[in-house]
Amino acid sequence: MAGLMRRVATLIVGLAATSTSSALDVFACEPEWGSLMQELAGDKAEITVATTAFQDPHRLQARPSLIAAARRADLIVCTGADLEVGWLPLLLRRAGNAKIQAGNPGNFVAAEYVRRIEIPATIDRAQGDIHPQGNPHIHLNPRNIERVADALTKRLQTIDPANSADYQSQLDDFQERWSDATGDWEERAISLEGMRLASHHRSFSYMAAWLGLDIVATLEPKPGIPASGAQLAALLEQLTPNPPAGVIRTPYENEKPSQWLSARIDIAEIVLPFTIGGTPDSVDLFSLYDETIRMLEEHIR
Amino acid sequence: MNEFELSIIGPAFLASLLVLSTHVPLGTEVLRRGIIFIDLAIAQVAGLGVIAADTMGWEAEGWLVQIAAVSAALIAAYVLHWTDKRWPDIQEALIGVCFVLAATAGILMLTENPHGGEHLKELLVGQVLWVNVDQLLPVAIVNALVLIAWFWMRDHLRGFGFYALFAFAVTASVQLVGIYLVFACLIIPAISTRHISRRSIRIICGYGVGIVGCLAGLILSVRGDLPAGAVIVWSLAMSALIFAWLVWPMIRHKDHSAETNIG
Repeated sequence: MAGLMRRVATLIVGLAATSTSSALDVFACEPEWGSLMQELAGDKAEITVATTAFQDPHRLQARPSLIAAARRADLIVCTGADLEVGWLPLLLRRAGNAKIQAGNPGNFVAAEYVRRIEIPATIDRAQGDIHPQGNPHIHLNPRNIERVADALTKRLQTIDPANSADYQSQLDDFQERWSDATGDWEERAISLEGMRLASHHRSFSYMAAWLGLDIVATLEPKPGIPASGAQLAALLEQLTPNPPAGVIRTPYENEKPSQWLSARIDIAEIVLPFTIGGTPDSVDLFSLYDETIRMLEEHIR
Repeated sequence: MNEFELSIIGPAFLASLLVLSTHVPLGTEVLRRGIIFIDLAIAQVAGLGVIAADTMGWEAEGWLVQIAAVSAALIAAYVLHWTDKRWPDIQEALIGVCFVLAATAGILMLTENPHGGEHLKELLVGQVLWVNVDQLLPVAIVNALVLIAWFWMRDHLRGFGFYALFAFAVTASVQLVGIYLVFACLIIPAISTRHISRRSIRIICGYGVGIVGCLAGLILSVRGDLPAGAVIVWSLAMSALIFAWLVWPMIRHKDHSAETNIG
Protein backbone atom coordinates (compact mmCIF):
# COMPACT_ATOMS: atom_id res chain seq x y z
CA MET A 1 0.00 0.00 0.00
CA ALA A 2 2.72 2.42 1.00
CA GLY A 3 4.58 1.43 -2.16
CA LEU A 4 1.55 2.21 -4.30
CA MET A 5 1.10 5.58 -2.59
CA ARG A 6 4.73 6.41 -3.24
CA ARG A 7 4.36 5.51 -6.91
CA VAL A 8 1.25 7.64 -7.26
CA ALA A 9 3.06 10.50 -5.57
CA THR A 10 6.04 10.13 -7.90
CA LEU A 11 3.72 10.07 -10.88
CA ILE A 12 1.96 13.27 -9.78
CA VAL A 13 5.26 15.02 -9.16
CA GLY A 14 6.47 13.78 -12.54
CA LEU A 15 3.37 15.10 -14.31
CA ALA A 16 3.64 18.44 -12.56
CA ALA A 17 7.25 18.67 -13.63
CA THR A 18 6.50 17.96 -17.30
CA SER A 19 3.67 20.47 -17.38
CA THR A 20 5.70 23.29 -15.88
CA SER A 21 9.44 23.11 -16.25
CA SER A 22 10.03 21.28 -19.51
CA ALA A 23 7.12 22.69 -21.50
CA LEU A 24 7.84 25.48 -23.94
CA ASP A 25 5.96 28.69 -23.10
CA VAL A 26 4.36 29.98 -26.27
CA PHE A 27 2.57 33.30 -26.74
CA ALA A 28 0.30 33.35 -29.80
CA CYS A 29 -1.06 36.71 -30.94
CA GLU A 30 -4.09 35.26 -32.74
CA PRO A 31 -6.16 32.10 -32.21
CA GLU A 32 -5.15 30.56 -35.57
CA TRP A 33 -1.49 30.45 -34.52
CA GLY A 34 -2.42 29.06 -31.12
CA SER A 35 -4.25 26.26 -32.88
CA LEU A 36 -1.40 25.59 -35.31
CA MET A 37 1.00 25.49 -32.38
CA GLN A 38 -1.24 22.93 -30.70
CA GLU A 39 -1.03 20.78 -33.84
CA LEU A 40 2.74 21.07 -34.13
CA ALA A 41 3.91 20.94 -30.53
CA GLY A 42 1.02 19.30 -28.70
CA ASP A 43 1.68 18.87 -25.00
CA LYS A 44 5.26 20.07 -25.34
CA ALA A 45 3.98 23.64 -25.37
CA GLU A 46 2.04 25.74 -22.89
CA ILE A 47 0.11 28.13 -25.14
CA THR A 48 -1.33 31.54 -24.28
CA VAL A 49 -3.48 33.18 -26.95
CA ALA A 50 -3.63 36.97 -26.71
CA THR A 51 -6.81 37.66 -28.70
CA THR A 52 -10.11 35.89 -29.26
CA ALA A 53 -12.17 35.67 -32.44
CA PHE A 54 -14.28 38.52 -31.11
CA GLN A 55 -11.39 40.93 -30.70
CA ASP A 56 -9.91 42.97 -33.50
CA PRO A 57 -6.24 41.89 -33.72
CA HIS A 58 -5.40 45.44 -34.86
CA ARG A 59 -6.34 46.66 -31.37
CA LEU A 60 -5.85 45.23 -27.91
CA GLN A 61 -6.40 46.38 -24.32
CA ALA A 62 -3.39 45.86 -22.05
CA ARG A 63 -4.12 43.38 -19.28
CA PRO A 64 -1.57 42.29 -16.65
CA SER A 65 -1.81 38.64 -17.72
CA LEU A 66 -0.66 39.53 -21.24
CA ILE A 67 2.47 41.20 -19.91
CA ALA A 68 3.03 38.22 -17.62
CA ALA A 69 2.65 35.76 -20.49
CA ALA A 70 5.01 37.72 -22.74
CA ARG A 71 7.53 37.94 -19.93
CA ARG A 72 7.78 34.18 -19.44
CA ALA A 73 7.40 33.20 -23.13
CA ASP A 74 10.09 31.21 -24.93
CA LEU A 75 8.45 31.89 -28.28
CA ILE A 76 5.86 34.32 -29.61
CA VAL A 77 3.98 33.49 -32.78
CA CYS A 78 2.30 36.44 -34.47
CA THR A 79 1.06 37.37 -37.92
CA GLY A 80 3.26 40.41 -38.54
CA ALA A 81 2.87 42.52 -41.71
CA ASP A 82 1.88 45.38 -39.38
CA LEU A 83 -1.28 43.62 -38.11
CA GLU A 84 -0.22 43.94 -34.46
CA VAL A 85 1.79 47.14 -34.93
CA GLY A 86 -0.52 49.06 -32.59
CA TRP A 87 0.24 46.97 -29.52
CA LEU A 88 2.88 44.28 -29.98
CA PRO A 89 5.95 46.57 -29.92
CA LEU A 90 4.66 48.13 -26.69
CA LEU A 91 4.01 44.73 -25.19
CA LEU A 92 7.47 43.44 -26.16
CA ARG A 93 9.12 46.50 -24.68
CA ARG A 94 7.14 46.22 -21.49
CA ALA A 95 7.81 42.48 -21.20
CA GLY A 96 11.57 43.02 -21.23
CA ASN A 97 12.14 39.43 -22.36
CA ALA A 98 15.19 39.20 -24.63
CA LYS A 99 14.21 35.80 -26.05
CA ILE A 100 11.17 37.11 -27.89
CA GLN A 101 12.44 40.46 -29.17
CA ALA A 102 12.33 41.01 -32.94
CA GLY A 103 15.16 39.25 -34.75
CA ASN A 104 15.67 36.59 -32.08
CA PRO A 105 14.66 32.94 -32.61
CA GLY A 106 11.86 33.34 -30.07
CA ASN A 107 10.11 35.89 -32.29
CA PHE A 108 8.22 34.11 -35.09
CA VAL A 109 6.45 36.23 -37.71
CA ALA A 110 4.14 34.11 -39.85
CA ALA A 111 3.68 36.62 -42.67
CA GLU A 112 7.38 36.39 -43.56
CA TYR A 113 6.86 32.88 -44.91
CA VAL A 114 3.98 33.44 -47.33
CA ARG A 115 3.51 35.44 -50.49
CA ARG A 116 1.42 38.41 -49.45
CA ILE A 117 -1.18 39.96 -51.71
CA GLU A 118 -2.49 43.51 -52.04
CA ILE A 119 0.96 45.02 -51.54
CA PRO A 120 0.48 48.60 -52.68
CA ALA A 121 2.62 49.59 -55.66
CA THR A 122 2.96 53.07 -54.24
CA ILE A 123 2.37 54.13 -50.68
CA ASP A 124 -0.15 56.88 -51.05
CA ARG A 125 -1.63 58.16 -47.84
CA ALA A 126 -4.89 58.94 -49.59
CA GLN A 127 -5.60 55.25 -50.23
CA GLY A 128 -6.63 54.42 -46.71
CA ASP A 129 -5.23 52.64 -43.74
CA ILE A 130 -3.15 50.47 -46.00
CA HIS A 131 -0.48 48.06 -44.92
CA PRO A 132 2.67 48.71 -46.94
CA GLN A 133 3.57 45.07 -46.34
CA GLY A 134 0.39 43.79 -47.95
CA ASN A 135 -2.78 42.27 -46.56
CA PRO A 136 -1.94 40.64 -43.21
CA HIS A 137 -4.96 38.32 -42.91
CA ILE A 138 -3.01 35.39 -44.36
CA HIS A 139 -4.43 32.41 -42.49
CA LEU A 140 -7.49 31.65 -44.66
CA ASN A 141 -5.52 30.02 -47.44
CA PRO A 142 -4.42 26.42 -46.71
CA ARG A 143 -1.20 26.85 -48.71
CA ASN A 144 -0.17 29.61 -46.34
CA ILE A 145 -0.88 27.42 -43.31
CA GLU A 146 1.25 24.72 -44.91
CA ARG A 147 4.22 27.05 -45.37
CA VAL A 148 3.90 28.60 -41.94
CA ALA A 149 3.71 25.11 -40.38
CA ASP A 150 7.02 24.13 -42.04
CA ALA A 151 8.74 27.29 -40.87
CA LEU A 152 7.29 27.08 -37.38
CA THR A 153 8.51 23.50 -36.94
CA LYS A 154 12.03 24.56 -37.98
CA ARG A 155 11.82 27.30 -35.38
CA LEU A 156 10.67 24.88 -32.69
CA GLN A 157 13.58 22.62 -33.53
CA THR A 158 16.00 25.54 -33.15
CA ILE A 159 14.62 26.58 -29.80
CA ASP A 160 14.11 23.10 -28.39
CA PRO A 161 16.58 20.82 -30.22
CA ALA A 162 16.11 17.98 -27.71
CA ASN A 163 12.65 17.29 -29.13
CA SER A 164 13.59 17.86 -32.75
CA ALA A 165 12.56 14.40 -33.97
CA ASP A 166 9.18 14.63 -32.24
CA TYR A 167 8.46 17.99 -33.88
CA GLN A 168 9.33 16.53 -37.27
CA SER A 169 6.98 13.58 -36.89
CA GLN A 170 4.18 15.83 -35.63
CA LEU A 171 4.70 18.11 -38.63
CA ASP A 172 4.61 15.17 -41.05
CA ASP A 173 1.42 13.93 -39.46
CA PHE A 174 -0.17 17.40 -39.60
CA GLN A 175 0.86 18.06 -43.20
CA GLU A 176 -0.63 14.75 -44.31
CA ARG A 177 -3.98 15.45 -42.65
CA TRP A 178 -3.91 19.05 -43.82
CA SER A 179 -3.22 18.17 -47.43
CA ASP A 180 -6.04 15.57 -47.42
CA ALA A 181 -8.41 18.12 -45.95
CA THR A 182 -7.29 20.76 -48.44
CA GLY A 183 -8.08 18.36 -51.28
CA ASP A 184 -11.60 17.85 -49.87
CA TRP A 185 -12.18 21.58 -49.43
CA GLU A 186 -11.04 22.35 -52.95
CA GLU A 187 -13.41 19.72 -54.31
CA ARG A 188 -16.33 21.12 -52.37
CA ALA A 189 -15.38 24.64 -53.30
CA ILE A 190 -15.77 24.07 -57.03
CA SER A 191 -19.39 25.05 -56.54
CA LEU A 192 -18.27 28.28 -54.84
CA GLU A 193 -16.12 29.47 -57.71
CA GLY A 194 -17.20 32.83 -59.02
CA MET A 195 -19.57 33.38 -56.06
CA ARG A 196 -20.12 37.13 -55.81
CA LEU A 197 -19.84 38.64 -52.34
CA ALA A 198 -19.51 42.01 -50.70
CA SER A 199 -17.13 42.25 -47.74
CA HIS A 200 -16.88 44.64 -44.81
CA HIS A 201 -13.07 44.98 -44.78
CA ARG A 202 -10.41 43.18 -46.79
CA SER A 203 -10.30 40.39 -44.21
CA PHE A 204 -11.01 37.53 -46.60
CA SER A 205 -8.80 38.37 -49.58
CA TYR A 206 -6.61 35.27 -49.29
CA MET A 207 -9.64 32.99 -49.03
CA ALA A 208 -11.25 34.70 -52.02
CA ALA A 209 -8.10 34.25 -54.08
CA TRP A 210 -7.89 30.59 -53.08
CA LEU A 211 -11.53 29.65 -53.69
CA GLY A 212 -12.07 31.94 -56.68
CA LEU A 213 -14.67 34.03 -54.84
CA ASP A 214 -15.47 37.34 -56.43
CA ILE A 215 -15.39 40.12 -53.82
CA VAL A 216 -17.29 42.74 -55.79
CA ALA A 217 -17.21 45.49 -53.18
CA THR A 218 -15.92 46.36 -49.71
CA LEU A 219 -17.93 48.52 -47.35
CA GLU A 220 -14.76 50.29 -46.34
CA PRO A 221 -13.51 51.38 -49.78
CA LYS A 222 -10.48 52.76 -47.97
CA PRO A 223 -9.58 50.23 -45.26
CA GLY A 224 -10.06 51.62 -41.76
CA ILE A 225 -12.08 54.67 -42.80
CA PRO A 226 -15.90 54.79 -42.76
CA ALA A 227 -17.38 55.21 -46.22
CA SER A 228 -18.62 58.63 -47.33
CA GLY A 229 -22.12 59.31 -48.62
CA ALA A 230 -20.91 59.38 -52.21
CA GLN A 231 -19.16 56.06 -51.83
CA LEU A 232 -22.23 54.40 -50.37
CA ALA A 233 -24.40 55.79 -53.17
CA ALA A 234 -21.95 54.45 -55.75
CA LEU A 235 -21.97 51.10 -53.97
CA LEU A 236 -25.76 50.87 -54.15
CA GLU A 237 -25.78 51.91 -57.76
CA GLN A 238 -23.16 49.29 -58.57
CA LEU A 239 -24.76 46.42 -56.63
CA THR A 240 -28.51 46.96 -57.10
CA PRO A 241 -28.80 45.74 -60.72
CA ASN A 242 -26.88 42.56 -59.93
CA PRO A 243 -26.80 41.95 -56.18
CA PRO A 244 -24.10 39.67 -54.74
CA ALA A 245 -25.01 36.49 -52.84
CA GLY A 246 -24.30 38.11 -49.51
CA VAL A 247 -22.14 40.44 -47.47
CA ILE A 248 -19.46 38.78 -45.34
CA ARG A 249 -17.73 40.05 -42.22
CA THR A 250 -15.72 38.76 -39.25
CA PRO A 251 -17.27 38.39 -35.77
CA TYR A 252 -15.35 41.43 -34.49
CA GLU A 253 -16.30 43.89 -37.22
CA ASN A 254 -19.05 46.44 -36.73
CA GLU A 255 -22.36 44.99 -37.91
CA LYS A 256 -23.95 48.30 -38.92
CA PRO A 257 -22.50 48.71 -42.44
CA SER A 258 -23.36 45.17 -43.51
CA GLN A 259 -26.82 45.40 -41.92
CA TRP A 260 -27.37 48.59 -43.85
CA LEU A 261 -26.32 47.01 -47.14
CA SER A 262 -28.22 43.79 -46.60
CA ALA A 263 -31.42 45.74 -45.85
CA ARG A 264 -31.01 48.04 -48.84
CA ILE A 265 -30.46 45.44 -51.51
CA ASP A 266 -31.98 42.44 -49.72
CA ILE A 267 -28.98 40.12 -49.53
CA ALA A 268 -27.82 37.78 -46.77
CA GLU A 269 -25.53 38.94 -43.98
CA ILE A 270 -22.93 36.22 -43.40
CA VAL A 271 -20.77 36.36 -40.29
CA LEU A 272 -17.97 33.91 -41.07
CA PRO A 273 -15.97 32.54 -38.12
CA PHE A 274 -12.73 34.08 -39.50
CA THR A 275 -10.65 32.34 -36.84
CA ILE A 276 -10.81 29.64 -34.19
CA GLY A 277 -13.70 30.35 -31.82
CA GLY A 278 -15.58 32.62 -34.23
CA THR A 279 -18.48 30.15 -34.23
CA PRO A 280 -19.07 27.46 -31.58
CA ASP A 281 -18.11 24.73 -34.05
CA SER A 282 -14.82 26.29 -35.18
CA VAL A 283 -12.61 24.64 -32.62
CA ASP A 284 -9.42 24.13 -34.63
CA LEU A 285 -7.98 24.97 -38.04
CA PHE A 286 -9.73 22.03 -39.70
CA SER A 287 -13.20 22.84 -38.39
CA LEU A 288 -12.62 26.54 -39.09
CA TYR A 289 -12.19 25.83 -42.80
CA ASP A 290 -15.08 23.28 -42.77
CA GLU A 291 -17.42 25.78 -41.16
CA THR A 292 -16.41 28.63 -43.44
CA ILE A 293 -16.99 26.63 -46.60
CA ARG A 294 -20.26 25.18 -45.25
CA MET A 295 -21.60 28.67 -44.46
CA LEU A 296 -20.72 29.92 -47.92
CA GLU A 297 -22.33 26.86 -49.54
CA GLU A 298 -25.59 27.69 -47.76
CA HIS A 299 -25.77 30.97 -49.61
CA ILE A 300 -25.02 29.90 -53.17
CA ARG A 301 -27.80 30.93 -55.50
CA MET B 1 2.49 41.21 -3.66
CA ASN B 2 5.23 39.32 -5.49
CA GLU B 3 8.09 40.68 -7.51
CA PHE B 4 6.29 40.27 -10.80
CA GLU B 5 3.19 42.14 -9.66
CA LEU B 6 5.40 44.96 -8.40
CA SER B 7 7.21 45.17 -11.71
CA ILE B 8 3.87 45.56 -13.51
CA ILE B 9 2.44 48.04 -11.04
CA GLY B 10 5.59 50.09 -10.53
CA PRO B 11 5.82 52.10 -13.79
CA ALA B 12 2.04 52.38 -14.02
CA PHE B 13 1.84 53.74 -10.48
CA LEU B 14 4.60 56.28 -11.16
CA ALA B 15 2.70 57.41 -14.26
CA SER B 16 -0.49 57.82 -12.21
CA LEU B 17 1.41 59.87 -9.61
CA LEU B 18 2.71 62.17 -12.33
CA VAL B 19 -0.77 62.69 -13.73
CA LEU B 20 -2.22 63.29 -10.28
CA SER B 21 0.53 65.75 -9.38
CA THR B 22 -0.75 68.36 -11.83
CA HIS B 23 -4.37 67.32 -12.19
CA VAL B 24 -5.39 67.47 -8.54
CA PRO B 25 -4.54 71.19 -8.15
CA LEU B 26 -5.73 72.08 -11.65
CA GLY B 27 -8.94 70.12 -11.02
CA THR B 28 -9.94 72.31 -8.08
CA GLU B 29 -9.65 75.38 -10.31
CA VAL B 30 -11.49 73.74 -13.20
CA LEU B 31 -14.33 72.82 -10.86
CA ARG B 32 -14.44 76.32 -9.40
CA ARG B 33 -14.70 77.85 -12.86
CA GLY B 34 -17.27 75.25 -13.93
CA ILE B 35 -15.39 74.24 -17.08
CA ILE B 36 -15.04 70.54 -16.41
CA PHE B 37 -14.90 69.35 -20.01
CA ILE B 38 -11.95 71.52 -20.86
CA ASP B 39 -9.53 68.60 -20.67
CA LEU B 40 -11.50 66.59 -23.24
CA ALA B 41 -11.52 69.59 -25.57
CA ILE B 42 -7.83 70.39 -25.16
CA ALA B 43 -6.77 66.76 -25.57
CA GLN B 44 -8.87 66.42 -28.70
CA VAL B 45 -7.34 69.56 -30.21
CA ALA B 46 -3.86 68.30 -29.35
CA GLY B 47 -4.71 65.15 -31.33
CA LEU B 48 -5.92 67.31 -34.18
CA GLY B 49 -2.56 69.08 -34.21
CA VAL B 50 -0.80 65.77 -34.72
CA ILE B 51 -3.05 64.80 -37.62
CA ALA B 52 -2.51 68.21 -39.19
CA ALA B 53 1.26 67.90 -38.89
CA ASP B 54 1.10 64.50 -40.50
CA THR B 55 -1.12 65.77 -43.32
CA MET B 56 1.33 68.56 -44.06
CA GLY B 57 3.92 65.88 -44.59
CA TRP B 58 6.07 66.47 -41.52
CA GLU B 59 7.05 62.94 -40.71
CA ALA B 60 5.73 63.14 -37.24
CA GLU B 61 8.07 61.26 -34.96
CA GLY B 62 9.12 61.86 -31.39
CA TRP B 63 9.62 65.53 -30.60
CA LEU B 64 7.83 66.81 -33.68
CA VAL B 65 4.66 65.00 -32.63
CA GLN B 66 4.89 66.59 -29.21
CA ILE B 67 5.52 70.05 -30.62
CA ALA B 68 2.55 69.72 -32.97
CA ALA B 69 0.33 68.48 -30.14
CA VAL B 70 1.34 71.19 -27.66
CA SER B 71 1.10 73.97 -30.27
CA ALA B 72 -2.43 72.96 -31.18
CA ALA B 73 -3.35 72.67 -27.51
CA LEU B 74 -1.93 76.13 -26.83
CA ILE B 75 -3.91 77.63 -29.70
CA ALA B 76 -7.06 76.02 -28.28
CA ALA B 77 -6.11 77.33 -24.84
CA TYR B 78 -5.77 80.83 -26.25
CA VAL B 79 -9.12 80.67 -28.05
CA LEU B 80 -10.84 79.33 -24.93
CA HIS B 81 -9.21 82.01 -22.80
CA TRP B 82 -10.55 84.62 -25.22
CA THR B 83 -14.09 83.20 -25.21
CA ASP B 84 -13.90 83.04 -21.40
CA LYS B 85 -13.34 86.80 -21.32
CA ARG B 86 -15.80 87.59 -24.10
CA TRP B 87 -18.72 85.28 -23.19
CA PRO B 88 -18.07 83.95 -19.67
CA ASP B 89 -21.70 82.89 -19.18
CA ILE B 90 -21.59 80.35 -22.01
CA GLN B 91 -17.98 79.23 -21.60
CA GLU B 92 -18.83 75.60 -20.73
CA ALA B 93 -21.08 75.31 -23.78
CA LEU B 94 -18.35 76.74 -26.00
CA ILE B 95 -15.89 74.20 -24.62
CA GLY B 96 -18.33 71.47 -25.60
CA VAL B 97 -18.61 72.90 -29.10
CA CYS B 98 -14.82 73.10 -29.31
CA PHE B 99 -14.64 69.40 -28.38
CA VAL B 100 -17.05 68.20 -31.07
CA LEU B 101 -15.49 70.47 -33.69
CA ALA B 102 -12.03 69.11 -32.96
CA ALA B 103 -13.21 65.50 -32.88
CA THR B 104 -15.09 65.78 -36.17
CA ALA B 105 -12.35 67.82 -37.85
CA GLY B 106 -10.16 64.82 -37.03
CA ILE B 107 -12.57 62.51 -38.86
CA LEU B 108 -12.68 64.82 -41.87
CA MET B 109 -8.91 65.14 -42.05
CA LEU B 110 -8.47 61.40 -41.66
CA THR B 111 -10.34 60.71 -44.88
CA GLU B 112 -7.32 62.26 -46.59
CA ASN B 113 -4.75 60.92 -44.19
CA PRO B 114 -5.60 57.69 -42.41
CA HIS B 115 -2.14 57.28 -40.90
CA GLY B 116 -2.89 60.29 -38.77
CA GLY B 117 -5.50 58.05 -37.19
CA GLU B 118 -2.77 55.90 -35.69
CA HIS B 119 -1.14 58.98 -34.17
CA LEU B 120 -4.50 60.17 -32.88
CA LYS B 121 -5.08 56.84 -31.19
CA GLU B 122 -1.59 56.87 -29.71
CA LEU B 123 -2.28 60.31 -28.36
CA LEU B 124 -5.76 59.84 -26.92
CA VAL B 125 -5.77 56.19 -25.92
CA GLY B 126 -2.64 55.85 -23.82
CA GLN B 127 -2.68 52.69 -21.75
CA VAL B 128 -1.28 53.01 -18.28
CA LEU B 129 -0.06 49.40 -18.11
CA TRP B 130 2.18 49.85 -21.13
CA VAL B 131 4.07 52.79 -19.73
CA ASN B 132 7.84 52.42 -19.69
CA VAL B 133 9.97 54.17 -17.12
CA ASP B 134 11.92 56.03 -19.84
CA GLN B 135 8.69 57.68 -21.01
CA LEU B 136 8.19 59.17 -17.57
CA LEU B 137 11.17 61.52 -17.41
CA PRO B 138 10.02 64.07 -20.04
CA VAL B 139 6.54 64.13 -18.49
CA ALA B 140 8.06 64.58 -15.05
CA ILE B 141 9.99 67.63 -16.28
CA VAL B 142 6.94 69.18 -17.94
CA ASN B 143 4.81 68.54 -14.87
CA ALA B 144 7.44 69.96 -12.52
CA LEU B 145 7.48 73.19 -14.55
CA VAL B 146 3.68 73.29 -14.59
CA LEU B 147 3.55 72.80 -10.83
CA ILE B 148 6.18 75.46 -10.14
CA ALA B 149 4.26 77.91 -12.29
CA TRP B 150 1.00 76.93 -10.61
CA PHE B 151 2.11 77.28 -7.00
CA TRP B 152 4.09 80.43 -7.65
CA MET B 153 1.54 82.39 -9.52
CA ARG B 154 -1.82 80.77 -9.07
CA ASP B 155 -3.29 83.92 -7.60
CA HIS B 156 -2.20 85.87 -10.66
CA LEU B 157 -3.23 83.24 -13.18
CA ARG B 158 -6.36 85.08 -14.17
CA GLY B 159 -6.15 84.81 -17.88
CA PHE B 160 -4.21 82.91 -20.48
CA GLY B 161 -1.70 81.53 -17.98
CA PHE B 162 -4.16 79.05 -16.51
CA TYR B 163 -5.30 77.78 -19.89
CA ALA B 164 -1.71 77.49 -21.12
CA LEU B 165 -0.61 75.47 -18.08
CA PHE B 166 -3.59 73.28 -18.65
CA ALA B 167 -2.63 72.68 -22.28
CA PHE B 168 0.84 71.46 -21.25
CA ALA B 169 -0.40 69.25 -18.40
CA VAL B 170 -3.17 67.56 -20.39
CA THR B 171 -1.10 66.96 -23.53
CA ALA B 172 1.63 65.29 -21.51
CA SER B 173 -0.69 63.18 -19.36
CA VAL B 174 -3.17 61.94 -21.91
CA GLN B 175 -0.47 60.10 -23.86
CA LEU B 176 0.55 58.15 -20.78
CA VAL B 177 -2.78 57.08 -19.38
CA GLY B 178 -5.53 57.90 -21.87
CA ILE B 179 -8.38 60.36 -21.84
CA TYR B 180 -10.69 58.58 -19.37
CA LEU B 181 -8.10 58.37 -16.65
CA VAL B 182 -7.00 61.98 -17.22
CA PHE B 183 -10.58 63.16 -16.81
CA ALA B 184 -11.04 61.06 -13.67
CA CYS B 185 -7.81 62.33 -12.07
CA LEU B 186 -8.81 65.90 -12.79
CA ILE B 187 -12.40 65.89 -11.60
CA ILE B 188 -12.92 63.11 -9.03
CA PRO B 189 -10.43 64.23 -6.32
CA ALA B 190 -11.61 67.82 -6.80
CA ILE B 191 -15.28 66.90 -6.24
CA SER B 192 -14.64 64.78 -3.18
CA THR B 193 -12.73 67.58 -1.46
CA ARG B 194 -14.93 70.51 -2.45
CA HIS B 195 -16.16 71.22 1.10
CA ILE B 196 -12.64 71.72 2.42
CA SER B 197 -12.16 75.44 2.63
CA ARG B 198 -8.43 75.60 3.33
CA ARG B 199 -6.72 75.31 0.00
CA SER B 200 -3.58 73.49 1.13
CA ILE B 201 -5.57 70.89 3.08
CA ARG B 202 -7.88 70.42 0.13
CA ILE B 203 -4.96 69.74 -2.21
CA ILE B 204 -3.36 67.30 0.24
CA CYS B 205 -6.64 65.41 0.68
CA GLY B 206 -7.11 65.39 -3.10
CA TYR B 207 -3.68 63.82 -3.53
CA GLY B 208 -4.59 61.25 -0.89
CA VAL B 209 -7.86 60.33 -2.63
CA GLY B 210 -6.04 60.07 -5.95
CA ILE B 211 -3.12 58.00 -4.71
CA VAL B 212 -5.33 55.54 -2.82
CA GLY B 213 -7.65 55.22 -5.83
CA CYS B 214 -4.82 54.63 -8.33
CA LEU B 215 -3.02 52.13 -6.14
CA ALA B 216 -6.20 50.20 -5.36
CA GLY B 217 -7.11 50.15 -9.05
CA LEU B 218 -3.71 48.84 -10.09
CA ILE B 219 -3.81 46.09 -7.48
CA LEU B 220 -7.32 45.11 -8.57
CA SER B 221 -6.13 45.12 -12.16
CA VAL B 222 -3.28 42.72 -11.43
CA ARG B 223 -5.31 40.45 -9.14
CA GLY B 224 -8.39 40.34 -11.40
CA ASP B 225 -6.53 40.61 -14.72
CA LEU B 226 -8.57 43.62 -15.85
CA PRO B 227 -7.64 46.57 -18.11
CA ALA B 228 -5.96 48.94 -15.68
CA GLY B 229 -7.22 52.32 -16.93
CA ALA B 230 -10.87 51.34 -16.62
CA VAL B 231 -10.48 49.78 -13.16
CA ILE B 232 -8.62 52.82 -11.85
CA VAL B 233 -11.42 55.15 -12.93
CA TRP B 234 -13.81 53.07 -10.79
CA SER B 235 -11.49 52.74 -7.83
CA LEU B 236 -10.88 56.51 -7.92
CA ALA B 237 -14.63 57.05 -7.69
CA MET B 238 -14.83 54.61 -4.77
CA SER B 239 -11.91 56.24 -3.02
CA ALA B 240 -13.60 59.64 -3.44
CA LEU B 241 -16.92 58.38 -2.03
CA ILE B 242 -15.25 56.80 0.97
CA PHE B 243 -13.31 59.97 1.63
CA ALA B 244 -16.25 62.33 1.27
CA TRP B 245 -18.73 60.23 3.28
CA LEU B 246 -16.58 58.54 5.91
CA VAL B 247 -13.07 59.91 6.26
CA TRP B 248 -13.61 63.64 5.98
CA PRO B 249 -16.67 63.81 8.31
CA MET B 250 -14.59 61.99 10.94
CA ILE B 251 -11.59 64.30 10.55
CA ARG B 252 -13.81 67.38 10.61
CA HIS B 253 -15.62 66.12 13.68
CA LYS B 254 -12.34 65.63 15.54
CA ASP B 255 -11.19 69.03 14.37
CA HIS B 256 -14.32 70.67 15.68
CA SER B 257 -14.17 68.94 19.04
CA ALA B 258 -10.50 69.86 19.34
CA GLU B 259 -11.34 73.47 18.61
CA THR B 260 -14.20 73.55 21.12
CA ASN B 261 -11.97 71.98 23.76
CA ILE B 262 -9.41 74.69 23.26
CA GLY B 263 -12.09 77.34 23.08
